Amino acid sequence: MKPAPFDYRAVGSPQEAVSALAERPGEARVLAGGQSLVLEMNYRRERPKLLVDINGISELERIEEEGGVLWVGALVRHRDFEEPVSADPLGRLLSRVSRYIGHPPIRTRGTMAGSLAYAHPVAEWPAVAVALDAGIELLGPDGPRAVSAGDFFLRPFATACRPGEMITGVRLPLLGENSGVGFAEQRRTQASFALVAAVATLTVEDGTITAARIGLAGVAGRPIRAREAEEYLLGSPLSAEAFAEAGRRAVRETDPLPEPHAGVAYRRHAVGVLAGRALEQAAADLEGRA
Amino acid sequence: MSSESSRYGVEPGDYIGRRLPRVEDARMVRGEGHYVADLRVEGCLEAAFVRSSLAHGRLRGVRLDEARAVPGVVGVWSAHELPELPAAQPLFPAEVLEGRDWPSLATDRVRFAGQTVAVVVAENRYTAEDGADAVDVEVKELPAVLDPTKATTADAPELFEGLSNVVGEWGTGEDIGEDFWKNAPVVVEASYRQPPLAPTSIEGRAFLARPEEDGGLTVWCSHQAPHRLRRDLSSVFEIPQQKVRVVVPDVGGAFGGKSETFPEYLVVAYLALRLGRPVRWVEDRAEALAGATHGRGQNQRVRLAADRDGRMLALAVEVDASTGAYPHYGFAPLFNMLRLLAGVYKTPRIYARVRAVVTNTTPTAPYRGAGRPEAAYAVERTVDLLARRLDLDPAEIRRRNLIPPEALPYETPTGALYDSGDYPTALDKALEAADYESWRAEQRRRLESGDGSLLGIGISCYVESAGVMEEYGAVEARADGSFLALSGASSTGQGHEITFAQVVASALGVDVERVRVVEADTDAVPRGVGSFASRSMQVGGAALHRAALGLVEEARRRTANFFGISVEEVGYREGMLFAGSEELSLPELVERTGPLRVEDVFDPPQAFPYGCYVAVVEVDPELGNVRVLRLVAVDDCGLVINPMVVEGQAYGSIMQGLGQALYEEVPYDAAGRHLLDYGLLDYLLPTFSELPPVRLEEMETPNPNTPLGAKGVGESGCIGVPPAVVNAVADALGHPADLQMPLTPETCWTALCDRSAARSAEVRP
Ligand SMILES: Cc1cc2nc3c(=O)[nH]c(=O)nc-3n(C[C@H](O)[C@H](O)[C@H](O)COP(=O)(O)OP(=O)(O)OC[C@H]3O[C@@H](n4cnc5c(N)ncnc54)[C@H](O)[C@@H]3O)c2cc1C
Repeated sequence: MKPAPFDYRAVGSPQEAVSALAERPGEARVLAGGQSLVLEMNYRRERPKLLVDINGISELERIEEEGGVLWVGALVRHRDFEEPVSADPLGRLLSRVSRYIGHPPIRTRGTMAGSLAYAHPVAEWPAVAVALDAGIELLGPDGPRAVSAGDFFLRPFATACRPGEMITGVRLPLLGENSGVGFAEQRRTQASFALVAAVATLTVEDGTITAARIGLAGVAGRPIRAREAEEYLLGSPLSAEAFAEAGRRAVRETDPLPEPHAGVAYRRHAVGVLAGRALEQAAADLEGRA
Repeated sequence: MSSESSRYGVEPGDYIGRRLPRVEDARMVRGEGHYVADLRVEGCLEAAFVRSSLAHGRLRGVRLDEARAVPGVVGVWSAHELPELPAAQPLFPAEVLEGRDWPSLATDRVRFAGQTVAVVVAENRYTAEDGADAVDVEVKELPAVLDPTKATTADAPELFEGLSNVVGEWGTGEDIGEDFWKNAPVVVEASYRQPPLAPTSIEGRAFLARPEEDGGLTVWCSHQAPHRLRRDLSSVFEIPQQKVRVVVPDVGGAFGGKSETFPEYLVVAYLALRLGRPVRWVEDRAEALAGATHGRGQNQRVRLAADRDGRMLALAVEVDASTGAYPHYGFAPLFNMLRLLAGVYKTPRIYARVRAVVTNTTPTAPYRGAGRPEAAYAVERTVDLLARRLDLDPAEIRRRNLIPPEALPYETPTGALYDSGDYPTALDKALEAADYESWRAEQRRRLESGDGSLLGIGISCYVESAGVMEEYGAVEARADGSFLALSGASSTGQGHEITFAQVVASALGVDVERVRVVEADTDAVPRGVGSFASRSMQVGGAALHRAALGLVEEARRRTANFFGISVEEVGYREGMLFAGSEELSLPELVERTGPLRVEDVFDPPQAFPYGCYVAVVEVDPELGNVRVLRLVAVDDCGLVINPMVVEGQAYGSIMQGLGQALYEEVPYDAAGRHLLDYGLLDYLLPTFSELPPVRLEEMETPNPNTPLGAKGVGESGCIGVPPAVVNAVADALGHPADLQMPLTPETCWTALCDRSAARSAEVRP
């Protein structure tokens, strides 16, 4: 489990990173936390000729809140979200979710942007990004562009980020005061990847749901949003029956892949339960603050 | 002396049963341990293996040219270039191996994914892997068979040409006969699967061989039985034993997977001799999961007959056990299993047959428990079925069948001689510690309230066999006031450095810090067997105990000679010899009379530690997740030398038992490839986060067959936990018919679905 030979370059700015990537088109990789890339390299499934280490780009370590958006730089680690980074309910959501990613050493190194770029089909951050319609900011040889999360994830381990591009930051919309957040995950041990996970947010006015977002991981080749279930909830009061029904509807939108110890039938069943539980949590989160 | 002893707050000589901290922990937790991978041996090359990616096929060709051209690669070989390369050695010689050679590098056939096909030796491991990457292996795939029962059928692929896939068949007892089963008042039957498990020590296998100028060979190896490894190396390479030295540095776990003389070791030693340079191989995690040995891997069919009061009348067990692709190690655990099938019960008739079957999986080998967990599981799961059939409490049915303490020593129908103990008390203690009756009441309350939550309680009673073969121990008094305790056992994490010192210091009545334990080096310890089968303290500790007492006798004799008096006139206390008005310390005696070392070789009968486990679990009715709310372990391992070390063994084996019950199984695809692309993210081990609330309770019945009284404690948890936990889950789920380990959420959910399907079928008119 030793990687194939590669060159290494540490860079100090996003522009420098992009020029370095351009030197070896298609054969260079960005090194962020290394928690997935190095593992793939050790198994020699990834054989980059050049590693572009972005860990020295301090401007990417920032988190900023402005104009209803939380901007997360590409070097913000999973761990940095453990204490809420925002007073908006979004801060609580990110905090809750972060604790499910791997274990402390992984969280200390791994980055949110790296997780999005890696696009593991059961990873937590991609499901959050899809649920929230996050904007993913890319920088490439032709300058910056942004892709919405819904268009970003293509297949397992495949995204809209082109070989010469890097993610510089992620834009997450704040949810607003009258919102509640929930997250439920099925995993076999505390340190394992999820089998299935569900992210939910609810916004309520005068006792009825005015916005609902449900993001699911592990139920398709990429994270998905359970649109039908979301629509079903609009105008409904916060009720256990409504959440259970939304869970059942979410199941219809899934197309899981089988894996050992988690067949298709089980995953479909589990995601319905988890979506319902995430919604209940979101409701409790709202009520807890009412 | 007393100032030293105050460090532990204990008088010299009074160390039995004391919680003295382990000597090695400080260096290990500071990262100062020394493993084979840490050794710096001048000029050492590193080896990497090319392994088969297919489970079964004809080896058509191995192309090495490109690998040889990789800069830094010293050499690349397949079996073709190394006709003299010795084949893998069996754990012990057996006729089952006839015609079933395990070439250290595959010759014409590959029989499991992970099998060694070629080897690359290079300046460092990175380059060696670059070379391995460049080797091209051409295999014509053949159909693979993974399940041992399927492998016995006529249309199964034949693994060894012209030979049956059934490599051996053994049994115990007389066939009970169909008439008996037909007429028995109550009969329950079940089939169980023991999935293959990966032992997964933190440190994988590791081996470094250095050829010596005198034609000898020095080997550093992460190993459980250094003297056996020396013997094997000596015989296959035809080097006299005195010229082969095996040193075992710190070891990061073994669990049975480091007892063997593996193909990789023979390749590395062979190349070191051939190249005249030291060569090392350090197994990585990917190799450890696919290419090292696996444990368990059985299909069991069990029948149990009883009278209407639940008194067990007869037990029949049929087992197909996978040895994996090569039967060299996998048949060894079967004898433990056969011997232990009576469990702790009086069952008068027992009949068992076991077939050892080759399959296209990774070879199996003894893994912590080695046949004992398999036996306990077959018995304890079925006893619960019987309880359910008769509507008896699982505790009550056990009580009616337990061997009473006054019947011990007791010879079972399977030929085991249980030495001592009190099985009913173990059960009572476990029930009490678990608060069994309150949990049963809570269970009834929940059922009546219909709240849907699923609570289950499971019991397992076990007895196991500890210790095989003799062990060497020697104690030496030195002129500088220190003592050496030489043991043929070899620690792989069991804490010998303190526990053996406690034994010797107590027998001599001296300060424990004056005793230095010497083991794990065949040059320093003339003979030995090793550490497995929970034997270190039972056999090795007792040998040291006897040697220490022998040393006192020898010292008295010498003192008597020295002063010209009779031995009876010489007294001994706490390292001092008293002869009339004269006093002499042991170091002084050594100074005056020369080196003083007493050796012992001790070969006691097997001991039979036993215990009782109770698990309380909750199953999430929607997702099928199992939560262990409480786990009680009552173990009687005989005399306890150091409770802290005993508890450590209990916790470790309990976690491995939980692993088997809930998490672990080596997954294969239909073609026999391991589905382990992400290593330990795919093969899930319970870690600290999965540790349930555990309560340990001890009983202490000294072993009557050794002067020390220890029985062995290394394997209790992985024997007692799986049936207790699975019985508890089965209890929570209403005893589904085909509940098999590991109890993943999906497994439990499926069982729940079957149950509700059955229910709705019942209500339908
Ligand atoms: C034991 C273990 C358990 C884990 N458990 C979980 C878990 O439960 N949930 C989970 O989601 N993840 C888990 N992970 C993965 C972990 O979260 C990784 O940190 C994450 O997937 C990748 O982030 P990273 O910063 O480490 O990226 P790296 O490993 O450095 O990179 C991963 C990939 O993304 C690319 N990349 C990284 N940053 C950028 C960028 N800014 N622009 C463009 N491309 C980029 C790299 O080139 C590479 O292809 C686990 C990992 C391990 C080893």
